[in-house]
Amino acid sequence: MLVITRKAGEQICLGDDVTITVMEISGSTVRIGIEAPAEVPIYRHEIWDAVKEENRAAARTNIKDLPSAKAPPRS
Amino acid sequence: MQLESTRFGNIEVREDAVLTFPDGLIGMAGEHWVLLAHDDGPFYWLHSLDDPDLALPMTNPWTFFIDYEVKVSDEDTAKLGIESPEHVAVFCVVRASDSLADFSINLVGPIVIHSEKRIGGQFINEIGGYNVRQPLFSEVELPDVQPATNAVPVAAVVA
Repeated sequence: MLVITRKAGEQICLGDDVTITVMEISGSTVRIGIEAPAEVPIYRHEIWDAVKEENRAAARTNIKDLPSAKAPPRS
Repeated sequence: MQLESTRFGNIEVREDAVLTFPDGLIGMAGEHWVLLAHDDGPFYWLHSLDDPDLALPMTNPWTFFIDYEVKVSDEDTAKLGIESPEHVAVFCVVRASDSLADFSINLVGPIVIHSEKRIGGQFINEIGGYNVRQPLFSEVELPDVQPATNAVPVAAVVA
């Protein structure tokens, strides 16, 4: 991991294509501008993480956990 | 091709039922999957062909949420070769629980499949405001569920 310090208005480049600009700092909130090619997906980390966690939880499901048209669901 | 599933035993999978997910699922590797129908109800399993223990329950979101909307980016639809809505099938991952009241569905990360090319991916819905853990039976009760028609080839019926 790289840790660097930037001030408002300063930028970071990731490779040739991606530029991150620190636009505004206000208390504990930072507004960030990202310029990247359209094919680079950009998501808030917590959304990506939440979907990942739901996938993992779903993968722990057993057959008997799902209601069946033939057997009444457990309730 | 034979799927040796830890949950469902050995299943013969026809070549034309194999789904390709070039990027796997979000946080889950594996390029080759099949869809299994959980009896004739509203649930399916997306089962990995690369991992005999990896299967996720899912359902057609419109079975439970008639107003659900999905928008994925042009780049994502291009990955699947989608040019028109005609061959698009959407499933959402279901989290089961001991009680039906605690079942939930992830409306944020739908699984989108080109039903003819059988190429799929899981994407972040660009329409905001949905929950990753939306109570599944919040609009429809189980006895009233009308399973939707499914355009994606199903490899087998289980359960």
